[in-house]
Amino acid sequence: MPVRTAKQMKPTLKVTKSRTPNQSTSGVLRVNQSATNTRSVNSSVHRKSFTLAGDSKVLDKGSVQTHKQTVQVFDETGKDVTPQPLYQPEAGALQPKQSKIFTNHDTSGSTLSDFLSTAYQTTNASFAAPFTRSVFGSSSVSRSSQSTMESMNDEIEDPSSKKDISLSLSDVQVRREEIKEQIKEHMLDCMVDCYLTETETIWLLDMPALSVSMDSEEAEVVKSEGRNMAYQELCKNRLGNDKYMERPMQTFNGAPKAKEVQSDSISMVEKATMATHWDIYDSYVSDGGAGNAADGASPTKLDISTLHRVHSSRPLDRTMSGASAISTASTSSSRIDTEAFVVQGENESDPEDVLHSEKFLQDLLVMERAVLENIYQPKLAAYRQLPILPDPNREQKAGDERDGQDDVSLNPALERLWAFNCELTMGRNVSNMAWNKKNPDLLAVGYGQFDFKDQKSGLVCCWSLKNPTWPERIFHCESGVTALDFSTCSPSQLAVGMHDGSIAIYNVQSTEKTPVIDSSDCAHKHTGPVWQVRWVENEHGPGGEDKRETLISVSADGRISKWFLRKGLDVKERKIEDSNIYLVGTEDGLIHKCSCSYNEQFLGTYTAHIGPVYKITWSPLCPDVFLSCSADWTIQLWRQDLFTPILGFTSTHKAVHDIEWSPRWATVFGAVNEGRLEIWDLGSSILDPIIVSMARPGVKLTSLLFATQTDCVLVGDSGGQVSVYKLKNLNAGEGKEVNTLHDIIRSTLASQL
Amino acid sequence: MAEVEETLKRIQSQKGVQAIIIVNAEGIPVKTTLDNSSTVQYAGLIHQLVMKARSTVRDIDPQNDLTFLRVRSKKNEIMIAPDKDYFLIVIQNPTE
Repeated sequence: MPVRTAKQMKPTLKVTKSRTPNQSTSGVLRVNQSATNTRSVNSSVHRKSFTLAGDSKVLDKGSVQTHKQTVQVFDETGKDVTPQPLYQPEAGALQPKQSKIFTNHDTSGSTLSDFLSTAYQTTNASFAAPFTRSVFGSSSVSRSSQSTMESMNDEIEDPSSKKDISLSLSDVQVRREEIKEQIKEHMLDCMVDCYLTETETIWLLDMPALSVSMDSEEAEVVKSEGRNMAYQELCKNRLGNDKYMERPMQTFNGAPKAKEVQSDSISMVEKATMATHWDIYDSYVSDGGAGNAADGASPTKLDISTLHRVHSSRPLDRTMSGASAISTASTSSSRIDTEAFVVQGENESDPEDVLHSEKFLQDLLVMERAVLENIYQPKLAAYRQLPILPDPNREQKAGDERDGQDDVSLNPALERLWAFNCELTMGRNVSNMAWNKKNPDLLAVGYGQFDFKDQKSGLVCCWSLKNPTWPERIFHCESGVTALDFSTCSPSQLAVGMHDGSIAIYNVQSTEKTPVIDSSDCAHKHTGPVWQVRWVENEHGPGGEDKRETLISVSADGRISKWFLRKGLDVKERKIEDSNIYLVGTEDGLIHKCSCSYNEQFLGTYTAHIGPVYKITWSPLCPDVFLSCSADWTIQLWRQDLFTPILGFTSTHKAVHDIEWSPRWATVFGAVNEGRLEIWDLGSSILDPIIVSMARPGVKLTSLLFATQTDCVLVGDSGGQVSVYKLKNLNAGEGKEVNTLHDIIRSTLASQL
Repeated sequence: MAEVEETLKRIQSQKGVQAIIIVNAEGIPVKTTLDNSSTVQYAGLIHQLVMKARSTVRDIDPQNDLTFLRVRSKKNEIMIAPDKDYFLIVIQNPTE
């Protein structure tokens, strides 16, 4: 009976508004029932079948209404707005209507499964599903016994719906496509009317209660009739009933079995690395070159170049960092690995090459200076006028204290600090010394003989204060060096005048042994020994260049030449302190005052010396006072406007080779004669030098140089040594020197008159 | 090369210089004026010290680098000139 109804009802599901929900309930219920009865696929159906069989009575009860027709929905105007199921199992049997959400079913024989699927499809669709459920829900209000059935139906629905959908999915899709096609064709032509109606309340979830309160209306119904009573009777009947039998059951416990598995022990190794700031910086810098390159070739080149000079542990680090940066890790890293091995091989072959690198030589020089600084530290501190700190770890001997007491004496004295000396210079005569204009620690010493006999090849050594045992630069010259001067404008240029009259210019910055410019090929070169060279700043040079320096040289052949760096000229100009006036000393004792403007004539002559004038020096602090020394054992003090000397100084019967004003005190000058060094202080005595220092036996002192910034005196001798002496306790003041000198001069002049 | 030898001789002849050790980048002494065991000991210990000092200097400013290191002690002074490829170590006692 139910099957029949189901078959009759299968095609369509039409809902009409006027109908009560119960009617539709019956239809759907029957469908479900038939579905559960006829379908044997669903296991869930089987399980629940017995209950459903029991419920069939209920269904029958519930299906009082004989309405077996499909549900139809009509709106107010009588139009059929029955929602159509989305799924149409049969092709060509549809008449799609836009007003209907679901298409109509034909009554011609859609299969039960299809109908079920449509029903379930509708349940899954938006409208009908809640509709049906609401139907169920409403029915359960009246009959509680249907609640369980309804829940079972729900359960049945879901698995079967799922299966139906899966089985008929292809059909659904086909149907849907056909539906769409038909719609489209019609859409193009006709106007479509859409009707929107208000739907009934949509129940999304309805969980009917399983228990009923005692006060409610259904309480009595639940208690009296129905399953509660049936269950109680069942329990009562169970006790002595033959239908029920006690029976034990035993579950088999499987016998446990122990199974052993052994694996290799996992060895744990701790690996740590320190990502220091500079390590990251190094990798970044080395990869910065790699990152710019598009391909992997140049990064590997970079690694090659860095790998070559790196020891064995380092290439691995660099390959790590390098490989991580290169995107093509596989190929390039293998290349790097092979190169790492190659580098190791190379490193083994040349451990000694370290010694030959340039950097090593530099480091050695620095080290040498550091070592020497340790040795000479007290002396250098004295030179620089720094307080000499005693070494705290040094053992205090008795002799030290005695030496300390000697220094307390207030007499002006010379303290010998050290001497520039090495084997190269042994035995050579120091002819000239000059400070570097820019670096006051650099000293150039020229070695050469004064007289014609014993001519050796000359030598110019550049000494640095930091290393008194070995000169920084050594230049060998062909003939003895007789004159030296450092340039002011380009402080690395050293002009050397030689005994054979040639002048060479050396660049002390480079380590080359050859002069930059040599004048030996010049046509106008001197024929006699060059006694003095000087770089002079040219205030108004030709061509409007200022501050250009020219080289002036004086030689024994009676010529004063001004040299340009490119070629030599014979312009007889020479500027000393004053811009246009210069003094020339001659071998017969005359001192000529000349001017640059007059090339041929002297302005005046200073006559006093009998022997050749060896040195003329202007006072650096008094503008028109100069000193001259000569071989006639005298030193003469002149003023520029007087052609007779103001003062003459004689101390010994030796030729005075060199004199120099002290750069700091206007009344102090030093003189070197053959046997001793004399420091004169005109402020204290004009008759005798205040300090006299004897030379070493067998050695003649030949040249003198004051240190510009400290109160030290350098004395060169014929043994090749340049000794550095510190002036101590010289009581000459600073500011009133010039006045003192002028006073002396005035007083002397006054007394002479 | 000759200059290197000359300079080494000059340093050796200075007052108070006790030893000169040149260690290459792998820590192997290349040239030494000290006995073998002391040389190896100095090389190892000084290597670590220089690494630490260099790391310190470069951590502060990665563009900087260590050029010279002097360790003054009661009895002597150790002067180290480090480089990527070698260490030059001179031990001097200047108060001798």
